[in-house]
Amino acid sequence: MTRAEIEAAVLAWIAQGVDAPADDARFEALALALFRLQHERGSAFRRLCTAFGVDPLRVRRWQDIPAVPTGAFKEARLAIFPPEATLRTFRTSGSTTDVRGALHLDTLELYDASLAATFRAFVCPDVERIRFLVLAPSAEEAPDSSLSYMFARALASFGTPDSRFCLDAGGWDADALVTELASLRAPVLLAGTAFAFVHLLDQLETRAVSLALPAGTRVLETGGFKGRSRELTRAELHGAITARLGVPRARIVNQYGMCELGSQFYEASLRTGVASDVKVVPRWVRTRAIDPATLEDVAPGEVGVLVHYDLANTGSVLAVMTSDLGSVVDGGLRVLGRLRGAEARGCSLAADALLDPPGASR
Amino acid sequence: MTELGALAEAGRALEPERTIAALAGAFELWRAPDSAWRARLAREHGVYSPEVIQFGVARALANWTADTLARLRARELHAPFAAPRVTAVWLAGSIPPSAFSAIALPLLAGSAVYAKPSSADPVSARLFAESLREIDPGIAAAVRVGSDAKVLDECDAVVAQGSDETIAALRARVGSVRPFVGYGHKLSLAAIGPGIDPLGAAQSLATDVALWDGRGCLSPAWALVSDSPRGRAAEVAHALAGALEETEDVLPRGALDAAESAELLELRARAAVREGTRLELAAGASTWTVVLESSELRPPAGTLRFLSVVPVSDLGSLARFLTPLAPHLSCVGHAGFGPDVSRLASLAVAAGASRLCPLGRMQLPPLDWNHDGQGPLRPLVRWLDVEG
Repeated sequence: MTRAEIEAAVLAWIAQGVDAPADDARFEALALALFRLQHERGSAFRRLCTAFGVDPLRVRRWQDIPAVPTGAFKEARLAIFPPEATLRTFRTSGSTTDVRGALHLDTLELYDASLAATFRAFVCPDVERIRFLVLAPSAEEAPDSSLSYMFARALASFGTPDSRFCLDAGGWDADALVTELASLRAPVLLAGTAFAFVHLLDQLETRAVSLALPAGTRVLETGGFKGRSRELTRAELHGAITARLGVPRARIVNQYGMCELGSQFYEASLRTGVASDVKVVPRWVRTRAIDPATLEDVAPGEVGVLVHYDLANTGSVLAVMTSDLGSVVDGGLRVLGRLRGAEARGCSLAADALLDPPGASR
Repeated sequence: MTELGALAEAGRALEPERTIAALAGAFELWRAPDSAWRARLAREHGVYSPEVIQFGVARALANWTADTLARLRARELHAPFAAPRVTAVWLAGSIPPSAFSAIALPLLAGSAVYAKPSSADPVSARLFAESLREIDPGIAAAVRVGSDAKVLDECDAVVAQGSDETIAALRARVGSVRPFVGYGHKLSLAAIGPGIDPLGAAQSLATDVALWDGRGCLSPAWALVSDSPRGRAAEVAHALAGALEETEDVLPRGALDAAESAELLELRARAAVREGTRLELAAGASTWTVVLESSELRPPAGTLRFLSVVPVSDLGSLARFLTPLAPHLSCVGHAGFGPDVSRLASLAVAAGASRLCPLGRMQLPPLDWNHDGQGPLRPLVRWLDVEG
């Protein structure tokens, strides 16, 4: 299959929406075709396969496609098209001195399609459009942030004209935001990073303010706390959002995504009306929880390292190994934290720490 | 009497000669050819293979003798001073000799020790304390192994190992009045000059890489190899791969936990996708990895028996590699520099190193090493300057 044929097939699948049949045979055929294409055209990926003794002709199951650890995106251009064809580059977060991972894209069609299908299903299943208040910088402010791009695209597709990004280069005006939230008369989508919500909750607590946002309001939070001074468990964060903003638990959705992937994973709480910490894996994605020592799947429900196979990643590598721990359960996955560094059992400086601190994934 | 009070009371028995004899006796128990203590540690430790424990402990303690202890004490503590009554020793990592010396040094200074083992190695400190009891119960009474964090607030001095964040947090807790000696995590490297036999250098380097499975701050994170004559670095890398394969037979690597396995996968993948690298891997296993780099750029630091060989053209290249490592560099293991070793020493010290040693001895720090540039005993004690 050519790349165009693969992309057309993936787009057709995405167009069927999140309730399309899982269809393992369809996934396997597309995944293997995409893997062979990426092996043929991606010199860095081909080097990895060669070093690990992977013969693409002998790979017959999607599970045997070599997964590229996210750290490798820091080392090489994992793209199957020439640099001049690059349309957009998403980079992992980090300070200016860090080596940052990069995902280069020559098309955003699949990313946009995957986002639209899942965002519609899990964040806006009950409304055509809703006012967005985004606790993140806009895509213009952060052009290499996949998170800002994702919010901008979703806002364009599902937001009302009075939607806005609440953060800019100067941070945010907490007083203005609290006042705005307190005066809301219509439901909104309050979306942002988990850490931005912590900051907002702190602001409300400082002011001794508890709000009851209008019925129909929903919260979308994403990302972790890595490198931040304060961490909460997801349950604590959602509990605090309910307490301070008056948004019921079943209307709070956690999204799990990463710079290196074209698709995202959402809790189905808002769609089903039942709070859940299980993220739904889109039909065009497969996720494994593996034992990194053997690369074999751990038992269903057991904790392993999450590896994603995303057909929306046509221009780079479709199989990405994360540093996230989680379990695969019926209907989705649970994300349970991040691998701690190997430093824990030694006294040597962790591989990249200090000299090259790892960034959060987005 | 409180636990700490009892410990302080026991510390009064730490008369120097008796303490030196007890410590030397305990070290002797551990390095004896058929040491039951080493065998027990090998059985109970859990992180390293029994062979690594047996070999690593015996080699590390080879020169930890009564003479060494006496010389160290005489060198460091020759003026009137007051030792802390109780020193809290907060251990990190999993390397047994590091736990032994961390407990022994405050005792040698005359301070009782409350040692908190690391979560990765709850065994070494406890067994060392037991071995000391076998030699001299009176001296051993001045050592307690436990995990009561309140001790940090009640002791007279603190010695802490750990990440920079851990050290900073402990330092803040201890305050500025009591002595605090922190050993943050560091990294080390091997520097190989032109005057070597590649096979011999590779064998020495393999020992440095294999011991403690590359987890230690004295484990080489990179090998910088003079590529003169051209191709020499490749020769050393290939010889190292062979040496590590042979070493695996005698010093097998221990089991990795999930985070370590994942880190190794990532290191290998990062090396594989870099343009121009050449990887040699243990066949069908993760036990060792050698990467020949194609440029002088700094690749990720190696660990867990993963080592990048970086070809360098001259000492200037080496200097460019070392300089950004300051102040995190600990040890430079060297071979083949001949008279240039003094220039290497200047570069190493400028990059923060506190040890320059022959290749093959990186994992064998002497007991009197000025670890991280700090005297082994002096930072713990309070001095009295007597003026005429």
